Amino acid sequence: MLGKRLVGVITVKNGWAVQSFGFGRYLPLGRAEILADNLDRWGADEVLVLCIDRGAAGPDLALLRRMAAKGLSTPLIYGGGIRSVEDAVAVVASGADRIAVDALLRDDPGVVPGIEAALGAQAVIAALPLGVDGDALVSFDYRTRTRAPLAEATLALLRAGSVSEVLAMDHVNDGGAAFDERIVELFPIPSVPLIVFGGLRDPDQIRRVLGRPSVRAAAIGNSLSYGENRIRQLKSKLGALPIRAPSYLRWIDQ
Amino acid sequence: MTRKLVGIVDYGAGNIASVTRSMKRTGYRCFASRNPAELDKASVLVLPGVGAFPSAMQALHGCGLVGYLQESVQAGRSLVGICLGMQLLGDFSEEIAPTAGLGFVPGRVVRVRDARWHIGWNALETSGRASFLAESDGRSVYFNHSYVLETSAEYVVAVARLGEALAPFPVAVQRGNIFGLQFHPEKSQSAGLRILADVLAEAHHAG
Repeated sequence: MLGKRLVGVITVKNGWAVQSFGFGRYLPLGRAEILADNLDRWGADEVLVLCIDRGAAGPDLALLRRMAAKGLSTPLIYGGGIRSVEDAVAVVASGADRIAVDALLRDDPGVVPGIEAALGAQAVIAALPLGVDGDALVSFDYRTRTRAPLAEATLALLRAGSVSEVLAMDHVNDGGAAFDERIVELFPIPSVPLIVFGGLRDPDQIRRVLGRPSVRAAAIGNSLSYGENRIRQLKSKLGALPIRAPSYLRWIDQ
Repeated sequence: MTRKLVGIVDYGAGNIASVTRSMKRTGYRCFASRNPAELDKASVLVLPGVGAFPSAMQALHGCGLVGYLQESVQAGRSLVGICLGMQLLGDFSEEIAPTAGLGFVPGRVVRVRDARWHIGWNALETSGRASFLAESDGRSVYFNHSYVLETSAEYVVAVARLGEALAPFPVAVQRGNIFGLQFHPEKSQSAGLRILADVLAEAHHAG
C-alpha cells in the first residue's frame, strides 16, 4: 500500500544551503547539491529544495543542473522563483520531478492551471506558510511579514485539484522544536493531502502527525542532514506506520 | 544497429537528464535525441514522460515522432515507456480531453480510482510472468501520477493498490517487445535501478 514519506528539506539562500529559523535568521550549512547527494544516499523518500530568495530572479536552474549532475535517484521537489508555465517546465527539464509554488499563488494564481496542463497536477505542490491566530488558520506572507486568512483563489485551486498536495509550513516553529498540529486540524479542505513542515524533530510527534489521514509526508530540515544514520534511525522509531523500509542507496540491494 | 545502445526519445516532455544518468548507471550506453536518424542507432528506445497526456502527444506529433515510433516497433525494435511514457503506449486517454495515444498496448488511460493521485512509494505486486520483475515483487518504487493505463490482464505484469482493501491497478505492462513502467525507476533508488537494468536487458533480448 501507499507509504507515508519522510522528505529531506534543503533551504537555500544566496546559493547556499542554510538552516532557517522562522525564515528570518539563517545559519550557513554548505553546498546544497552536497546535502542533496547525502539525503539521496541515506534513503530519504523525497528531497525538497526551497530557494527562498529567488523572487524576480526566477528558478535556480543552475543549482538544479548541479544536483542532476550528481545523478540523484531520489525524487526531487523544487520551490523558488517559479513565475510562469515556462519556469515550471524549465525546472522539471533541469532535473526536478515536482515543483512547489508559493508567491505565485498570491501574485498570479491564474498561472497554476496552465502549469497543471503542462506538467499534470501531480507535479504541482502549493507551499503555504501557515500559522494559527486564536482558533483560525492564517496564511503568512514572507514579503510583507503579514498574516491573513487563506486566499479564496488558493482555496479554489485546491478544490479544483490543480495542485496535488499542500506543503503546510509552520512558519512560527520553523527551526524550532515542535510543529503546531492545529494547522492540520484547522486546514479547511481535509481531502487535500498535506506535507507538514516546520519544527518536526521529535519522533513521537512525527509518528503522531504522520498517523493523521490527511498527512502524507513529513518534511524535515537540518536534523536529517546531520548524520548518515538519521533517516534510518528515525524510520525505525515510527512504529507501524506504512512507511518504506530504511535503506541506503546501493546499486543492487540484495 | 549497435547492440546495447539505448536511445532516449527527447520530445520535450520529461526529465531527460535523470533518465539518462540512471541508464548510464545500469551500464548501458545511452543518448537522448529527437532525431530519427540518431535514434535509429539504438537497439532499444526509451520513452520517458512527465506531465499531461495531451501535451505529451502534441509534443510527439510536433517532433514528427509518432510515425517513427510506430514504424520502429513494427520493425521489432523494443520500446520502454516510463511513467507518462507507459500511458502513451495505450489507445487513448481521458486526461483533460480525449486524446489518441500510440496504440501499442490495447487500452485506455483513465483516472486512478479510490484517490485523486497516486504519489509516493508503493509496493509492486508482480504477476510472475515478466522476467524483468522477477526480483522485484514487494519492492517499493516511486509513483507520481493520477491516470493509469487500463488494459487486458494478459499484458499486465505488475499492479499496485492504494490500500490493502482497495482494487489493484496496472503499473507495469509488457506486450512482446513493448514494455511500460508507470513508476519512476530512475527515482526509486536501488530498487528502481535494479528494475531499469533488468527491463533493458529484457528489451535488448526481445528486440
